[in-house]
Amino acid sequence: MIEVRAVTKSINTGTHRVDILKGIDLDIPRGQFAAIMGPSGSGKSTLLGLLAGLDSPTSGRIILDGEDITELSEDQMALVRGRKIGFVFQSYHLLPTLTAEENVLLPMELAGLEAERARARELLERVGLKGRFDHYPVQLSGGEQQRVALARAFALRPPILLADEPTGNLDSATGRVVLDLLLELNREEGCTLVLVTHEQALADCAGRRIVLRDGMVVT
Amino acid sequence: MSYVGQDGILNGDRRSPREPAAGRLAGFQPAPLAWRTALRIAWLELRASRARFLFVVLAVAVGVGSLTGVRGFSRAFRHMLLSQARTLMAGDMTLRIFGEPTPEQESVLGSLDSRGVRRTEITETVTMASAAATPDPLLISIKAVDPQLYPFYGAVKLDPKQPLAHALTADSVAVSDDLLMRLKVRTGDSLRIGGQDFRIAGVVTSEPDRMTGTLNVGPRVMMTREGLTRTGLITLGSRASERFLLRLPTGRPPDVAEVRAILKANFPEASIADYRETHPIITRGLDRATTFLSLIALIALVIGAMGVASAMHGHLQQKLDSIAVMKCLGARSAQVIRIYSVQTLLLGLAGGILGAVFGVGVAAAFPGMIARYFSIDIGASWDPLPAMEGIAIAALVTLLFTVPPLLGIRTIRPAQVFRRDMGSEKTPRSAAPHVARGAILLGTGAVAATLTEGSLRDALRTGLFFTIALTVGVALLAGAAWILLRILRMAQRRVSLLPAAIRHGLANLYRPGNQAQSAVVALGVGVMFTLMVFLIQGALVRQIRGSAPPGMPNVFLLDIPGQQREAISGLVRMQPGVTAAPEVASAVAARIKSIDGRPIESLGLRDMARRFSRTRSVTEIGAKPSETEVLSGAWWVPGDTRPQTCATEEAAKILHLKPGTEIEWDIWQHAVRTRVACIERTESIRMTARFEFLFSPGQLAGFPAVYYGSARVRPPSVAALERVLYEQYPTVTVVNVADVMQIVEDVVERIALVIRFISLFTILAGAVMVASSVAGTRFRRMREVVILKTLGASRRRIAWIFSVEFLALGAVAGLMGSLLASGFAALWVKNLLEIEFRPDWAAAALTIVLSAALAAGAGWAASFRVLGRKPLEILREE
Repeated sequence: MIEVRAVTKSINTGTHRVDILKGIDLDIPRGQFAAIMGPSGSGKSTLLGLLAGLDSPTSGRIILDGEDITELSEDQMALVRGRKIGFVFQSYHLLPTLTAEENVLLPMELAGLEAERARARELLERVGLKGRFDHYPVQLSGGEQQRVALARAFALRPPILLADEPTGNLDSATGRVVLDLLLELNREEGCTLVLVTHEQALADCAGRRIVLRDGMVVT
Repeated sequence: MSYVGQDGILNGDRRSPREPAAGRLAGFQPAPLAWRTALRIAWLELRASRARFLFVVLAVAVGVGSLTGVRGFSRAFRHMLLSQARTLMAGDMTLRIFGEPTPEQESVLGSLDSRGVRRTEITETVTMASAAATPDPLLISIKAVDPQLYPFYGAVKLDPKQPLAHALTADSVAVSDDLLMRLKVRTGDSLRIGGQDFRIAGVVTSEPDRMTGTLNVGPRVMMTREGLTRTGLITLGSRASERFLLRLPTGRPPDVAEVRAILKANFPEASIADYRETHPIITRGLDRATTFLSLIALIALVIGAMGVASAMHGHLQQKLDSIAVMKCLGARSAQVIRIYSVQTLLLGLAGGILGAVFGVGVAAAFPGMIARYFSIDIGASWDPLPAMEGIAIAALVTLLFTVPPLLGIRTIRPAQVFRRDMGSEKTPRSAAPHVARGAILLGTGAVAATLTEGSLRDALRTGLFFTIALTVGVALLAGAAWILLRILRMAQRRVSLLPAAIRHGLANLYRPGNQAQSAVVALGVGVMFTLMVFLIQGALVRQIRGSAPPGMPNVFLLDIPGQQREAISGLVRMQPGVTAAPEVASAVAARIKSIDGRPIESLGLRDMARRFSRTRSVTEIGAKPSETEVLSGAWWVPGDTRPQTCATEEAAKILHLKPGTEIEWDIWQHAVRTRVACIERTESIRMTARFEFLFSPGQLAGFPAVYYGSARVRPPSVAALERVLYEQYPTVTVVNVADVMQIVEDVVERIALVIRFISLFTILAGAVMVASSVAGTRFRRMREVVILKTLGASRRRIAWIFSVEFLALGAVAGLMGSLLASGFAALWVKNLLEIEFRPDWAAAALTIVLSAALAAGAGWAASFRVLGRKPLEILREE
């Protein structure tokens, strides 16, 4: 499902060059739950971002579901993301001017599909936010916002779900709830799940652990 | 324990470890933060937030640019008037009177002649001229000079080049180039004036005293005094303007002060000017224009200052954590306020300096705009004073407006480092915010007062009115903006049929941290002001062009010789197209000496009311016309020979006249006493409506009089009437009101152009405020772009969403500005100008569209780079 071939990523900070990823090769088959781990600065979030097409690798290739996304333009990549990828951010990143229901509907509208209110409400109920459809993010707690983000990520039933430390900003109890929801939804929808975390316990739930250190895969 | 040392740096604990705690605090004097340290911190923060503050600096610069441009031009103009006073006056002094000097006055002038003062006389009047190619006569201005003496300074330049004394003879003239066009003649052709033929010797290309002469607009003719005598235009009682140029002897008496004193004593109604001062009439006009345009520019600057305050507020919101940390480390509110005050000052100064540079370009634009009436060469030198004034005002005004957000620093609690949602400390109700607002109003009023030319009383009055008007205007705008944005929000929530991009774009107006209301107000101020000027101008022009009330005369006849008035009246009556018998009235020059024994000078008449202390035209009339309404007292009965006058209600109000009041007059050096018989109001269709005093029959008999006539003529027949009258009575001037109205319309257009030019700066400042507001939400905007791109939105889609937001912002500002402009213009036009007002829906619609487009342009200027960045770059920065 996801193929990474000799991917490197470097950035110029103005005074010097930083090599974040130094040659990543990996394959993640369809339906697998993979956890990317590593110390801070190892390139986990960068790798996840490249898999989502949020940036381009300096060299190498990335193939998602048979489609090489390396050379795609911004807009072409946006289309791929809309069709194939659900993303959960560490900081939720809901649009503050939209209600919970509208945030979940957003991917459908962006894909030019009919806004399926029933689907949005079903997802929100599924994540335990029944009756909060009209609430704005500022009216929700951190955990509730992350649950809205989860519902949004699954709105279009994406084949690939990427999550960047989804419980990083939550307390352990709330994080546990969110994580359980994530895994449960993933099982129901049958996505390929790639999750970045630094928590060993979370990594233990995954079917596969990918450990990064200094920009390279060590295991 | 830490404290801030004298050098402003937070120091570690300096106490001795064995010193008891009480001893450590005894005599502790908290030190203020050193200005150098505050400057350093302020500068570092500014550098890091360049993008946020760039636009507000620009907004301030726009205001300062327009202000320094106006005042720079005004100073340069004034400097030119002073440095070239002799040339502009064509003499050392001028003495302007209406009518010929009396024998006593002639004798005074003669005595000056004998003391070495050289003198030459210039007569200026209006009359008709024609040429063989165009038999229809044309209204022209005449200037009769003695070319052997005139001008004393400077030179009249002619085309073809030749000395003036050579070109002007008793039967030749020099003309303005527009006369050649209007009469289809060339140099060498013949011109007929007052029944006499004159050869056109050349075209006047430069005339040193053009600005200080009588401002007769329209084609101009210069001739000799002999030539004027040939025309027979000037008779006893003619109201031509007489201007004497004087050249004083060099290095010996009499000096200018002595001559001025002599002239003032003997010519009480004359306008006297000398080279030591700028021409009073021009100066007065310049002062008023400078004040008015400066105040408009100040509005632009206030918008810029509001932008700084708004940006500073947003900036401080982002710095809450930093400020809380500083307080945790021992910084006091006053010290933190000092840092951000310095930052504000730096922003104000940056905007001021940039604006001062702008101002040079703005000042350079003015001469071209008024070139038709004033030929101004202000030279290339740069006057630093307006620039310094602009920079100082920018710094002061931005500091003033930023006081409220700076005071908010006091409410930030150190514990917010741990919990952002603690919110600001609720301080006990204090007077500080009210004092701050009061200081803003007072300061703005003081600035407006300093920009006012004139007396201290004028300055204070202007400052007060400006502050009140600005406060009311901004409050109304803010209220209207709030209402409109609320309506938009409700509509956006309810109308789910709108496409998603439009819904999202509109929802963005309510993004947390979005200063939509401030941006709408800032842009709306400029839109409202500019449209208001346009609407008022439109109402004026419509009034000028519109048909007069039924019966209103549209043709006036000037300088009718007394003995020919019956014949001329009969001739006019016989012409086709004349719809009413012509009315002929006599006018005698008279001056009020006293009212009920009190000298007129003691009444303290000011401004326009001063006209009553000068010679006026009065007329006598028998039976009361049907269009005259007696408001109090009674009209004289036939046969009543007592000397009586009737005064208009305005004259009565100004001079406190009532039936029975005694007025003493000086009529051609004769004392005449009359009793006020009535106060009246006459409809404007009558000639006599133009006279503020009507005398009972027989009171003006024997005095030199000039006769004026008026007629109502169908417009297509006016030209034929002019031709017939000109052929038989060439010294009678026929004024077609339509022509005069065209000139007036032209002048109105020029004035409106200048005002609109400056008011465009208020719009520009508003647009920059929109850009600033957008720049202030840059981080949130970037995050939204990340989310939308991650969720599959193309750049085009995101661009649409942003565009909808900017267009909506601009459209709301345009709508609000249009509504308020129409309201204020209607009030002004109906109540102050007393003319009809019609809303201009096309102009309002265009305003909304242009405002939306401008806001979109400004918004994109502030955010175009956001779209192009990769999402992960942005996430990495977080």
